[in-house]
Amino acid sequence: MTSPTKAEGPGPSVALDPELAATTEIAVPKKLEGRSPGQLMWQRFKRDRTGMISAGVVIFFFVVSALAPVISKLYGKDPYTLYAQEPEYPFLLDDFAMPSGAFGGVSGDFWFGVQPQLGRDVFTMLLYGIRNSLFMAMVLTLLCVVTGVLIGLVGGYFGGKVDYWLGRVTDFFLSFPNQLFFIAFMPIVTAMFVSPTDETPTYLRVVAIILVMWFLGWMPMARLVRGSVVSLREREFIEAAKVSGASRWRIVRKEILPNVVTPILVQATYTLPSNILTIAFLSFVGVGLVEPTPDWGRMFRIGAEIYEQNPSFLLFSGGALVIFILAFNLLGDSVRDAFDPKTGR
Amino acid sequence: MKPIRSRSVRAIAAIAVAGSLALTGCSSDSGNESKDRAKTQDDAASQQKPVQYADAAASNGPAAEVAGAKSGGTINVYVQSDLSHMDPGQIYVSDAGQFANLVHRGLTNFQEDKNGNLKVVGDVATDSGQPSDGGKTWTYKLKKGVKDEDGNVITSKDVRHTIERQYSKVIFDGPTYVQTWLSGADYRKDLPDGPYKGKHLPDTVLETPDDETVVFHFNQPRPDLPQALAMAGYAIVPEKQDTKEKYDKAPAALGPYKVSEYKAGKSLKLVKNTQWDAKTDSVRHQYVDGYNFTTTIDQASQTKRLIADQGEAKNAIQWTDAVDTAQIQDVVSNAAVNKRTVKGYQPYVWQMSFNLDKIKDKKIRDAITYAIPAQAMVQADGGRYGGEIAGGLFAPTLPGFDAKYDPYGKLKKPNGDLEKAKELIKEAGVKEGTKLTYAYSNSPRGQAQQVIIKDALAKIGFDVQAKEIDRATFYEQIGKLKNPYDLYMTGWGQDWPSQSTVVTPVYDGTQIADGSPNYSHINDPQVNKLIEEALKLEPAEAAAKWEQAHKRIVEEINPAAPVYYSKTIQLFGSNIGGAKYSVESSYIDINNVFLKQP
Repeated sequence: MTSPTKAEGPGPSVALDPELAATTEIAVPKKLEGRSPGQLMWQRFKRDRTGMISAGVVIFFFVVSALAPVISKLYGKDPYTLYAQEPEYPFLLDDFAMPSGAFGGVSGDFWFGVQPQLGRDVFTMLLYGIRNSLFMAMVLTLLCVVTGVLIGLVGGYFGGKVDYWLGRVTDFFLSFPNQLFFIAFMPIVTAMFVSPTDETPTYLRVVAIILVMWFLGWMPMARLVRGSVVSLREREFIEAAKVSGASRWRIVRKEILPNVVTPILVQATYTLPSNILTIAFLSFVGVGLVEPTPDWGRMFRIGAEIYEQNPSFLLFSGGALVIFILAFNLLGDSVRDAFDPKTGR
Repeated sequence: MKPIRSRSVRAIAAIAVAGSLALTGCSSDSGNESKDRAKTQDDAASQQKPVQYADAAASNGPAAEVAGAKSGGTINVYVQSDLSHMDPGQIYVSDAGQFANLVHRGLTNFQEDKNGNLKVVGDVATDSGQPSDGGKTWTYKLKKGVKDEDGNVITSKDVRHTIERQYSKVIFDGPTYVQTWLSGADYRKDLPDGPYKGKHLPDTVLETPDDETVVFHFNQPRPDLPQALAMAGYAIVPEKQDTKEKYDKAPAALGPYKVSEYKAGKSLKLVKNTQWDAKTDSVRHQYVDGYNFTTTIDQASQTKRLIADQGEAKNAIQWTDAVDTAQIQDVVSNAAVNKRTVKGYQPYVWQMSFNLDKIKDKKIRDAITYAIPAQAMVQADGGRYGGEIAGGLFAPTLPGFDAKYDPYGKLKKPNGDLEKAKELIKEAGVKEGTKLTYAYSNSPRGQAQQVIIKDALAKIGFDVQAKEIDRATFYEQIGKLKNPYDLYMTGWGQDWPSQSTVVTPVYDGTQIADGSPNYSHINDPQVNKLIEEALKLEPAEAAAKWEQAHKRIVEEINPAAPVYYSKTIQLFGSNIGGAKYSVESSYIDINNVFLKQP
């Protein structure tokens, strides 16, 4: 949590950080110059090597997943074709339905090998799997942040009965056992909208996953924002705004919100990777996306079943997941540090 | 046996895997290491010989000694989950069937020689049965000196009780052949409370003239009766011991072993039944002192333990579970481990059943049959050790199996014949993008096969709607007459080595009902007539009729596309002797096992 005076104060915060003063433009004689908190944050962030590297990794993942169709086109494979059945690749799988080449069938044609049993291309499966997971996690995080911030702001600022009831609702939702709830409700949600003879469309599954997870995912953000807002509510600058006749909406928007941006941003960067993991978990236990939609969690499950015979499958899918989550979490840490250098770890 | 049901619920081990990532090492080139070939249809030939009915001499005990057999010791048994049932009347699934071989005894039993030839011998009865009146009446005399575990002598009253209790509501999961033959499809009406309220079947149906004689009266010849009575489901339940529903947890033993301790969901211990007399039994042995079942070990860890062959695993066997498909390669490519396997066919034929109420045009059915890539379907079920491409709907385990029968060219073109399929689709005038609903059981195998089916049928212009069904209720859902699905993969296996136990339940139009295994709803007068005729004939004469019915079904009606025959491969520990594949049970032969060093 950041203290508003510090974020507000223009010059002195440089003095708070002597290192920063040392590195900035030495040649030109110092001319005191106001920097916005954003600029300060960026300066601090640039000096954090872990942060920069993990930011690079995260951006790489985002770019790759955004460009998945292009890459797949250039590479000449897609994640749906069963290559073991195509006449061009007659000996892709052996008698045990395992890839016949070394290390999971890695070759010039199949960079990450082929999937056992079905003979699909692991590289494009992974690309599209990441793409689907990231897309879903981003939408979900956005929804959770917006809901959480709204409810937190309203509860924190208005206080009294509103705060009490919103707080109880939040507590109520927090008391659901998340993962059990997902497993129990996913099939019901999908079954509700589909005729018994039609396949559940993929978009519906995606919507259902996002809805169910949104339903149970906004509470931490709401609590965090409420806490910050409560501590801001009685501050002098708010009172001053009130006295000068600013509307409630204006106070919330212009006075309070800018001061809680930091915790929101930090919380969001932690929420996204955890959402990716939860989505992967759903597929892992069989209630998320189903075949043939490429999915990270399901690849992980297949990999876990055959890791002794074919470790490469788990290595590629699991490795990508571990690297991404790690990078994103480190990034979250760095962002927090940059915003709020005084808080020790 | 009933359609394959996987009762194993895989535990959800969700997270934790990420941590083990760093431990995975490199794998060597996995191809072409195993010179050992999977069992092919030649090996199944032993499963094809017609069963013989043995006389009294062959039915007398004791059973022939197994070469080198020793007495003593305890065999450990690895099972994934509890046995489905222990009450004989409820036993229809093979895990309990194997158990029944050790604990229960029926009127008749299968005897298997070294080459896998099967004979039906008298078990509690003196012989396999005396037919009269052209096979409509069967008379059984009971052996002297057969007792239950408390020393009560088994009489004809107990046999009658065994049959009659199957009419009551206590029994709902077992086979229904004999009851149906005696009293018709609505047999329960004849004796709604079973024998429990003092009522019995009339003597014109089931007669017990004295303590040692039982007479079955049928309204038409029933030449298969001795084989039906050999099913575990008809094993004797002594009248005095019957505790109705509770009997399923604590049955009284007639066979060489009895239940000494049973912890549901955990373990089961069998010990020697001292009342069992080897002289009365021509099939079973009592070599080991007992069996310790652990009913919590999943297939993957069973396989791992048996491959490692350390400590108590040396004395262990797999019961009806097979080698984990992912580890088959590790087993067969290691000669020392491969020596400790039993391999063979299972009686199941996996077929793509068409819902004939929905897909009425035979051309469409044929087109789909041509299009299915059978090879890929086998690959999704463990590769060559899991199954073998099927040409027809009769399994290699049935007598008179013809390995060359292949009307749809599945053996020649294992990945399907798309040109032919497209041609047929054009002739049938099906529009591009017609919807087909394919229902599948939501298991890893079901999901993988769904991808293949969807892919193949999309290539011939169908828009396949794949519907997943919870695997526990899969057969219940597709067994409904008014099910909304067009296609579904089903598996069915024989109850005894006769085509009658395949054609009658699965393709007889007179048996269509909710929950009946006639999943395609085929109702062809010609087939029905052939079935009616064949059922009255001795097995040898009936074979021609069954073959005729088979050809009519496969070629002219095509209610189900043959996809593959399933196979099994089981492991046992290095201290187990006498282990071999049993043609009768299609698992490890439980009657002949012993410990090399007790």
